[in-house]
Amino acid sequence: MTLAIEIEDYSWQYLNTPKPALNHINLQVEEGTFLGVIGPNGSGKTSLAYSIDGLIPGQYNGIKHGQVKVFGKEVEAYDRGQLQRIVGVVFSDPEAQFTAMTVEDELVFGMENLGMSIPEIRERLEWVTELTGVGHLLLKPPYEISGGQKQRVALAAVLAMTPQVLILDEPTSMLDPVSRRRVFDVLARLKSEQRNTIIVIEHSLENLVPLASRMLMLSDGELTLEGETREFFQNMDLLVAQGIHPPGAMRFYYELKKSGQYPGSLPITLPEASQELKGLVARTRQP
Amino acid sequence: MTDNQSFIQVKNLFFTYPDGTKALEEINLSVTVGEFIALIGQNGSGKTTLSKCLNGLYKPTSGNVIVDGLNSRTTPIVQMVRRVGYVFQNPDHQLFNNNCWDEIAYGPRNIQLSEEEVKIRVEEATQVVGLPQIYFEEHPFFLSKGLRQRVAIASILALRPQVIIVDEPTTGQDARQSFEIMDFLKDLNEQHGHTIMIITHDMPIVAQYARRVIAMGQGKILADGPTGEVFAHPEVLERTFLEPPQITQLAQGAMELGFQPGTLTVEEMLRQFEALH
Amino acid sequence: MNKTLLGYVPTRSPIYAIHPFVKLFFMLIVSLFPMFVAAPEWNMALMLAILLLMWISRVDVRTLRIYVPVAISMGSIIVISYIIMGGNHPEFQLITRFLGIKIYWERIRDAVVVYFRILPMIFTMVFFLTTSRERDLIVAMRSVRVPFVVTYVFAMALRSAGMVIEDFQIVRQAEQARGFDTTGKSLGYRIRKYVMYMIPLFALSLRRAEEFTNALVARGYAFTGEASRVKRADYVLTHYSFKYYDAIFTALIGLTFIVLLILRYGFGYFSIERSWLLNWLKDVLT
Repeated sequence: MTLAIEIEDYSWQYLNTPKPALNHINLQVEEGTFLGVIGPNGSGKTSLAYSIDGLIPGQYNGIKHGQVKVFGKEVEAYDRGQLQRIVGVVFSDPEAQFTAMTVEDELVFGMENLGMSIPEIRERLEWVTELTGVGHLLLKPPYEISGGQKQRVALAAVLAMTPQVLILDEPTSMLDPVSRRRVFDVLARLKSEQRNTIIVIEHSLENLVPLASRMLMLSDGELTLEGETREFFQNMDLLVAQGIHPPGAMRFYYELKKSGQYPGSLPITLPEASQELKGLVARTRQP
Repeated sequence: MTDNQSFIQVKNLFFTYPDGTKALEEINLSVTVGEFIALIGQNGSGKTTLSKCLNGLYKPTSGNVIVDGLNSRTTPIVQMVRRVGYVFQNPDHQLFNNNCWDEIAYGPRNIQLSEEEVKIRVEEATQVVGLPQIYFEEHPFFLSKGLRQRVAIASILALRPQVIIVDEPTTGQDARQSFEIMDFLKDLNEQHGHTIMIITHDMPIVAQYARRVIAMGQGKILADGPTGEVFAHPEVLERTFLEPPQITQLAQGAMELGFQPGTLTVEEMLRQFEALH
Repeated sequence: MNKTLLGYVPTRSPIYAIHPFVKLFFMLIVSLFPMFVAAPEWNMALMLAILLLMWISRVDVRTLRIYVPVAISMGSIIVISYIIMGGNHPEFQLITRFLGIKIYWERIRDAVVVYFRILPMIFTMVFFLTTSRERDLIVAMRSVRVPFVVTYVFAMALRSAGMVIEDFQIVRQAEQARGFDTTGKSLGYRIRKYVMYMIPLFALSLRRAEEFTNALVARGYAFTGEASRVKRADYVLTHYSFKYYDAIFTALIGLTFIVLLILRYGFGYFSIERSWLLNWLKDVLT
């Protein structure tokens, strides 16, 4: 399997800050993985995302040690504009990343930047509007659509550039639960239909966990835990100690496990938790 | 609940924006001192508009909002805001000064208090929010979001309003920060007697901290009652396009096993589980 | 209804069939007409013609009501300043004296001429702005190959204006929520305090600028280097095609301008001396 991302002993310190934002990070992400990244605010998640896209060190001043490679090539070795064809980023503020006057212009902006031709653009436009469900919004300006719709447009705009790696930095933190769900639905569809490598930084674990095949936790600039999702969440003590607040259902089982009333592995989604509950209650009722 | 016990009385409130958009329809509610209320609803449901009617920023198109006996139509805003404080969602919208001390002093100075009184109020507010003295001379722009939010709350506290409305206290915060701010609001409510109203769509937070929930949709109040009761009826919540927190959903999916549909926290769930033995 | 830069146009309107370039061309050329026309009756006729065009485009002409007070106050200011500060010339005809000020015919005549020159120019611009959406402006510029950077900066400026206005309103509410009250205070006080608005607006803009730049970079926009010289497909232009009638209108506008210039400089039309309105006014006043 190809390695989409290889990070080797990578450290990054912004100028005029007392300590590094990222410290000796080692990470390998295979192509096609859906990786969830969690951690407290200030732990370096955004810096990590920006490092993979070349925004660091491209747009920010600081000291870099180690290597960040995307598909085998160091991030700084890519020509200007080349890396952005391969890595797409969706940011957390829907307002600030709307770069055009109408939704259609927004979707087409990235494609035009890459020098795609009109027929190519037309084809991609159709695909991407269908996937994200923004077809009815095409002629609307940014101030006429909601935050959730803007985020789906942002996602569509990035996807239109057919990146092989898609990074979403807290895409739903400013959205209400319904809009949040719709964004994750698009991600779910993307996961099943395409081979993109998807990295999602999120606080809302409820929606993230069912989709992520691997998880990663950052604390204070260091990678403290990484692994396949189910195994990852069996380390609940460590996660809680680092300030992660798991979804309600998972926490319920964790508490039971701590008091010795639940021996199995923690369910990681609501349907699993519901299923387990029936069995669990039945077992405790047995004489 | 009789009229003279309510701090805020809203009667038949309608609000339409100047461009014709109907934002609020037939709102009736009353708030007594010491409540902890969550105002929930989808974006565009009218939550922010309603809060701004409560502190006089918006005047009703028809109907009345009466705060501490004062009618918002006839009372100057500067009188209203001394009773109902509003903390905006984005602290950047409300930080006007070059250092935190002046920022917190801004409100009391606006209402013409003496410099000694201003000093007392600022010290009180910084103590309540836990703002360390080293930040007093700092420019708010350079502080972390959590600290900026605290400065914003302190600057409202300095006006000593009875009611404090906080717009999206936990949006964009991580778990620890969210709990910190909510515990702090809880403290303001339980230790200092303030009435707290939070505008949010963070359902687990609502479940854990709010004792009363007002759910809005399309400019109307769709549900108004104790948190457990409102969450126990998911079909009502559905009309607001919101879902109860995951733990509540877990309980609701296991009602035939004996779990209560109004379960709000993991602790409640655990207690019920124990009781099943 | 579709929102245009200065108002609304109904969803069905003949104005949409016109290529945006023609609209821009119309505004640029026709707003030059009054510069060559001194006779007020011709400028008034131009205003009526534009009003007619607005009506044909189904613009709600009631929205023009808001400009009436502006027009009146502007006219008053022009007349008064010309009368008071116009100076005099020995050949001027004195009409009357008012409060010790001598009122000359020539001053009034000049004021009338200037006023009816300015009005149609503004009118043309208002016509353009009430029938064009933001996108039309951009399309008009791109179709004549204005460099992408220029049109883009222009578009973003339009957008930022909207965002700043929104922010401004929220900041104002935030100030009120902290007891800020300007009722009964002096103008100087208000001006000093309004400077305070700048601080949060600055803070917000700075934060947005950073995020916006990141978004641009992430969308593959290259500011320099080879990637910035890529040929842009200009997809938006595919929605607009220059039809035969667009060409006809453009030619008509250009021709009208040339005819106007010929009549003006070749035959002395549109001058003050030959203006029957001015002559009539002169007879009435003297």
